[in-house]
Amino acid sequence: MDEDKIKDRVRLIRSLVTRNLMRDYVPFPMDRKLASSWALPLDVPRGGDTLIYTSYMYQMSSVFKSYGRLLPKIGSLASSSLVQGLGARVIKPSDEEMKRASSILSNAYSLIRASGVEAGYLYEEEPYSGALLLEMGFLDELKDYGKKLLSFFRDRGTKRLIVLDPHTLFTLTYLKREVGFDVPFQHYVDVVRGAKGEGNFVLHDSCVFSRLLDRYSSLRDFIRQTGISLSEDELVTGRATGSCCGGPLASLDYELSEDMAKQRAEELKRVNPRVLVMCPICLSQLSPYADVRDLLEVIRRERKLEVGHSQGGRLKRDGGGEDPEGIPVRRRAG
Amino acid sequence: MAVERILKEYPYVVELAERLRETKLKVIGDLEAYVERAMKSVERNGGHAYLAKTKDEARKIVTDVVREAPAKEEGKRKGGKRTVVLAKSNVAYEIGLREGLIKQGFEAWETDLGEFLVQLRKGWPVHLVLPSLDLTREEAGRLVHGIDKNVNEDSSIEQIVAAVRGFLFEKYLAADVGITGANAVSADTGSVVLVENEGNIRMDTVMPRTHVVVTGVEKVVPTLRDALDEAIVQSAYAGLYPPTYINVTTGPSSTADIESHRVSPATGPRDFHLVFLDDGRIAASKDENVREALLCIKCGRCYFACPVYRELGREWVGTGSPYNGPTGVVWNYITNGDPWPAFLCAHSGGCKEACPMKIDLPTIIRYVKSAGEKKL
Repeated sequence: MDEDKIKDRVRLIRSLVTRNLMRDYVPFPMDRKLASSWALPLDVPRGGDTLIYTSYMYQMSSVFKSYGRLLPKIGSLASSSLVQGLGARVIKPSDEEMKRASSILSNAYSLIRASGVEAGYLYEEEPYSGALLLEMGFLDELKDYGKKLLSFFRDRGTKRLIVLDPHTLFTLTYLKREVGFDVPFQHYVDVVRGAKGEGNFVLHDSCVFSRLLDRYSSLRDFIRQTGISLSEDELVTGRATGSCCGGPLASLDYELSEDMAKQRAEELKRVNPRVLVMCPICLSQLSPYADVRDLLEVIRRERKLEVGHSQGGRLKRDGGGEDPEGIPVRRRAG
Repeated sequence: MAVERILKEYPYVVELAERLRETKLKVIGDLEAYVERAMKSVERNGGHAYLAKTKDEARKIVTDVVREAPAKEEGKRKGGKRTVVLAKSNVAYEIGLREGLIKQGFEAWETDLGEFLVQLRKGWPVHLVLPSLDLTREEAGRLVHGIDKNVNEDSSIEQIVAAVRGFLFEKYLAADVGITGANAVSADTGSVVLVENEGNIRMDTVMPRTHVVVTGVEKVVPTLRDALDEAIVQSAYAGLYPPTYINVTTGPSSTADIESHRVSPATGPRDFHLVFLDDGRIAASKDENVREALLCIKCGRCYFACPVYRELGREWVGTGSPYNGPTGVVWNYITNGDPWPAFLCAHSGGCKEACPMKIDLPTIIRYVKSAGEKKL
């Protein structure tokens, strides 16, 4: 392990990310109009009590990864205004990546609506959750940012957030405990009802969702209820033995991160060539090395539920408790 | 999967692990008092107990004991250097003991086969329980060729093991001092419990006239029963259950077979020394962010549950610490104040799932990262 390299990266990422977040609510320079463009064709309402909260994760996971690869090249210049301005134009997702992300987010919105929940979206105004600060152990910085984030949502009268990825969910759970982030939030699997899917996959668990948030079993219950079958191998998909995609290390050690992704993809392919994920970072990491689908690419709404007929319920955490917020799905006024 | 099979076959081990966690949490809450009680128990049994604050202090205490230890051979009694046999001990690595003894001119040999191979290759252990995990049969054969010309890279594993056994047997016979670690130390009786499969610890603790134990203060448990539980749990979660041997040592050897008059020594050692090492542990026991790490029983199971360790192996923490993998990242921080390897933790969470003590390693490691970031 190269200690000096680690120190340099930590210093650089802290300076870059903290500065960007506190000023612009995003960790890296990015094209926010492009990132929110998925919602335009659907005419998703702007704002509202209940918000679909992407935290730019599906749209920008490849961008975050690119920053990881480029950091050593741009070094301390990364925090300069010149490079930051350039970054948003140069480091952007490919058309193919944006198309895929748009499709995933559109489907998420449709599934949520079909479950009887009217959700709006903040478009380019949407803030990032601060998940990267948590991954990096920048806990004081995250607490500062978390307070800012809480004010942001309070100022807009947000009553509920529907989160689409595990890292945002984990970060908000942390902020709830540490800074009293009291805007209720739920993951989409706790909101979506009646979704249908098909096919047989091997599930690559999100480390954050299945282990750190204790959702290993309830996630499988959700997936199987859709009609999708899962191939299991205790050594590859076991709760203790399932491995990481390497994504969280991309900004510190890109090669290690890629080696982990390759290794994980090979393990998964030995169980089933069709890999299922439910996290944008896992999707971005594993896709180059296997046939990977996100859960939001393989489930579809069965039928549009009538307003007021949502089966709003509570998925149990594996530990026996309720979901982090214990919020029943809000029913639309009939 | 060996551990899962063991736990299925011997389900009481899981219950023991749960009970042990609660017991050790209680000890960590009042660590200094338990250490003091254990030291008094050792003294009561006719042994000598020490508490070393630092690595250097611990190494000096052990080196002085070795220097003053009674010698078996006439030549050594007149100022010759002592022969020392060592059982596998991570704390011995932590304080640089073997190298320190050799530098002082003592003859010192590791007797655990894996550690012996590490010594021959002048290397560093790759794992807590399986120090030569990365070595092939051919490589082991080439190394052992250095002490037995009949062995080479074409030798079978059985031939290699037999050659090492022959070599080490001469060392056991010549050894003046045996140095071991401890899986647990009971505060009530001052007993040291050690679990093993090779039989080398039996030899190390009985053949020499002086037995020195060097171990971390967190190995104290309230009772001998708790200490035996820890040995059982450690061996099961290390994937080696049932263990071939569990050794209990309570002071020097003694006998009361003649007129019920107890005398010491009998067949075993004449002198018994227990050196407790602090090296950051007591401070950690008072830090709510890391104290739970002291529950670690060093089974090494979290290593295999960690994708980063599986990629980096020894290189993750390096040779500045014998502790590696997820638990090692935290132990390296506790004992060396080094937070930097923690930044390569991906927080996969497998370590917490695999840990018999259910230590929340991902959360502790996140704190270690935070502590590191503050140093910049």
